[in-house]
Amino acid sequence: MSPIDRRMLYHINWPLLGLAALLFAVGVVNLYSASGFRVETGQTMSSFYQKQLIWGAMGLVGMVAFLFLDYRHLKTLAWPLFVLAVLLLLCVPLFGKTIYGAKRWLDLGFFNLQPSEIAKISILLIGAKLLARGSRPMGWGELILVLLVGLVPAGLIIIQPDLGSGLSVLLLLGGMILYRGLRKGVLRVLLVVGPLLLPLSWFFLHDYQKRRIMTFLDPSTDPLGSGYHINQSQIAIGSGQIWGKGYLAGTQSQLRFLPEKHTDFAIAVFGEEWGFIGAIILLSLFSMFLYQIFVTASVAKDRFGSYLAAGVFFYFFWQILINMGMVLGLMPVVGIPLPFISYGGSAMVVNLCLIGVVINVSMRRFVFKRS
Amino acid sequence: MSSQFEPEGQAPPATGLLLLQVCIWGLFCVFALRFWYLQVYKGEHFAAKARDNQLRQEASFAPRGLVRDRTGELVAVNEPAYALGLVREDVRDLDATLAKIAEWTGTPQAELRERFEKGRRRVKPFEHLILVPDLSFDLLAHIEANTLFWPGLEIVVRPKRRYPQDELLSHVLGYVAEANEEELEKDSGLALGDNVGKGGLELVLEGRLRGAKGLTQVEVDATGRRLNQMVLREPGAGEDISLSIDLGLQRRCTEQMGGHSGAVVVMDPDTGRILAFVSMPSFDANLFVAGLSTEQWVALRDHPRHPLQNRVIQSMFPPGSVFKLVVGAAGLEAGINPRETVYCSGQVQLGKRVFRCWKKHGHGAVNYQQAQVQSCDVYFYSMGERLRVDKMAPFAMACGFGQRTGIELPHEKGGLVPTPDWKRRRFGEPWVGGDNLNMSIGQGFNLVTPLQVARFVSALVNGGTLYKPLLLADQAPEAQSRLPMSEGTRKLIVDAMVETVKSGTARRLQRRDAVMGGKTGTAQVVKLKLKEGDVRETTEEMAYEERDHAWLASFGEKDGQRYVAVCMVEHGGHGGSVAGPMLASVYDYLFGEATR
Repeated sequence: MSPIDRRMLYHINWPLLGLAALLFAVGVVNLYSASGFRVETGQTMSSFYQKQLIWGAMGLVGMVAFLFLDYRHLKTLAWPLFVLAVLLLLCVPLFGKTIYGAKRWLDLGFFNLQPSEIAKISILLIGAKLLARGSRPMGWGELILVLLVGLVPAGLIIIQPDLGSGLSVLLLLGGMILYRGLRKGVLRVLLVVGPLLLPLSWFFLHDYQKRRIMTFLDPSTDPLGSGYHINQSQIAIGSGQIWGKGYLAGTQSQLRFLPEKHTDFAIAVFGEEWGFIGAIILLSLFSMFLYQIFVTASVAKDRFGSYLAAGVFFYFFWQILINMGMVLGLMPVVGIPLPFISYGGSAMVVNLCLIGVVINVSMRRFVFKRS
Repeated sequence: MSSQFEPEGQAPPATGLLLLQVCIWGLFCVFALRFWYLQVYKGEHFAAKARDNQLRQEASFAPRGLVRDRTGELVAVNEPAYALGLVREDVRDLDATLAKIAEWTGTPQAELRERFEKGRRRVKPFEHLILVPDLSFDLLAHIEANTLFWPGLEIVVRPKRRYPQDELLSHVLGYVAEANEEELEKDSGLALGDNVGKGGLELVLEGRLRGAKGLTQVEVDATGRRLNQMVLREPGAGEDISLSIDLGLQRRCTEQMGGHSGAVVVMDPDTGRILAFVSMPSFDANLFVAGLSTEQWVALRDHPRHPLQNRVIQSMFPPGSVFKLVVGAAGLEAGINPRETVYCSGQVQLGKRVFRCWKKHGHGAVNYQQAQVQSCDVYFYSMGERLRVDKMAPFAMACGFGQRTGIELPHEKGGLVPTPDWKRRRFGEPWVGGDNLNMSIGQGFNLVTPLQVARFVSALVNGGTLYKPLLLADQAPEAQSRLPMSEGTRKLIVDAMVETVKSGTARRLQRRDAVMGGKTGTAQVVKLKLKEGDVRETTEEMAYEERDHAWLASFGEKDGQRYVAVCMVEHGGHGGSVAGPMLASVYDYLFGEATR
């Protein structure tokens, strides 16, 4: 364990920490408003924002722990963690707990572990480790190796079935690969072959997934099913207009026309109550947050640190892109939460730990001996 | 520090850093533009939609079609019923709400919970989930006053079926009751708590009787209380149905059956329309609509007289001497000369077995007509011996026995015309000569339904056409097939039936103002039991379930009006003496009081 000296504290990415704190605060405040009544059972859920605070505190502990551990030790942890993740994924079909018809969780007694979360972190580490081995754009050999490593956990997650999480593992890895860069020849082939493969994947989708995509293309086909979500969230956001209806005054969310408003559709509540002005401010916070991670990636003094930061960047980037795209009606409905805004315990802990990793990279960028 | 912490070369990839910047700007621009489009450009549009959103759409219930008898008297109507509905989106505390309902109605909370879990999957957002389908008036007043304090609870008014004639037509109408899981699954137009036809015409005509639900737009406040409402689509009532049944005649037949179990069918022989359809004992269909308690259900199901059994179409009885009409026609068609006589000494012997005539000392020499009029068993034994099963069975089937009549009611039975093949399969025994003899007098294995007999007699009367039995007034007559007999044979049989009323076993039907015909039957339920010596027990001496079934198949014609009436009294004893007076009274209703 390397000592923490004052120089390190000085080099902590304070803006990143501040932005994360701001986003967390916005999330809790918004959750308080969204905590009217739970649509499904009619139970009140005012405790959701309180629980989110507790999860935030736990995440903070995790984040501090990650600050003390020199991130370069993570490189040695990459393979063991990968093996552990794959083993856990293999356990799911055998001992998994079925919730909503899908086996995605392992019941550990005190809480339900979702191995796909571990898999995401392990892909982040493995990706950073493998990609950092070279510095020039990747050729076929390297690309295929990295993809093979990524496809193992991704495949195991997709057959659970959890297409959303499986794809986000692949997207995360894909983002990191693009960050490293591909040789022009490779890139050209992928640009041609990729779009050709896309329609083929249709045949591997479940019926409900196909239906969601069809609904996305034409919401009127299912006005009371997933089309209902899309319509209601757009009505909520749109009716906020420029200035919003005011905090706790969103008629759509307060009237409970809006489903899932505390999880995947939380931003619709925000958009209704704070309007266009609020939405732009929130969007700016997210952009600046991502920008600070970018800054860390660009100033890191070793390639592993840089790729680590880039991985965290894509980890957040895809979630924001997919969640907002879905709620704003630009993408089919897939269950991906919005970081810091959606209710969700394990996601919150993972988010804060990853911020710890990024800050770790930023604060240790001066510990290297001059070469 | 270990060597793995040595810096690995320099600078992050330049293109990668560019990529991250593009991502950030792309994300910001795309979503900022989208927010602007939704909230500023289309803001007014969505604000208007949000106002509309406080309007909900609710189903309004359609009344089921009314059912009348042929004279227009109502036999199935609707009256308002009050159900307790729950809108799950409006409920604050589900457990407390369910506990409260349990306290009000006495329904166990677990049962309500189960109902809720079952229903929520089928109820669209903001639709009522019916938790208690039928509230009594006392409860209604109490709950109505309290729903204000329990958001999400509401009284829903729906039409409920009622059968004003109570037990009179239950076997024809069937009944409606709450749709079960399977029915809900099959029919997406049904919601939890909806009633559907479960038997009889209510089941068969479900598609015509059930109405189309309407749609009402309801304006609500944030707690789900309704402020205003507007009908978007009127509910469409189900189709009204008129029966061919004459309720007065139905009542007369039922009264005449008294405490007996059995069946009466009155038919128009020229169309197949059924004027009376009585199966006794009956049950009160209204009980099912309200929802039977377990005790009520068990009492009905295990009742020794089986009130749920539809004896007109589901009970199969040995036809007894009524079957002689079929065997006689088969014989005449096979070339037996009606003038030829058979000597009846009271019994005949076949191998070691003795087959008796019902008249102990015999009828002497009888020709065909005398044999049918007197119902002489020995004459028909000799016919059975000559025809054998090979001629009798196909002939009986061509007369409509051994197969369903096709009446529009569920669960009809086809009866049984035995064949040697059937006997081998059923009992593993060969057909023997004695079986032919038993078959010839309608004993043995033959089984018929009262409706099959009525249809057969109708065909004898109308010139030979087997009509499909009809229950609805607007159904067009449907000829199914022709009796396999010549006009001459048919006339001989019918004339003998007329003679049977004049001088034979059906004298109870006699009346001066009409042409009457009949054939009695006394079908043994158990093998003939002899008291010491040669004397048979009288009906009164026998245990109820061992007594003979009494049959009377008849027709009457007056002033161009023709009717066929068939009566079967379970364990009633002798056809002529038990069923005769009953049908005589039925003809009094049809033709007016008789001058005998």
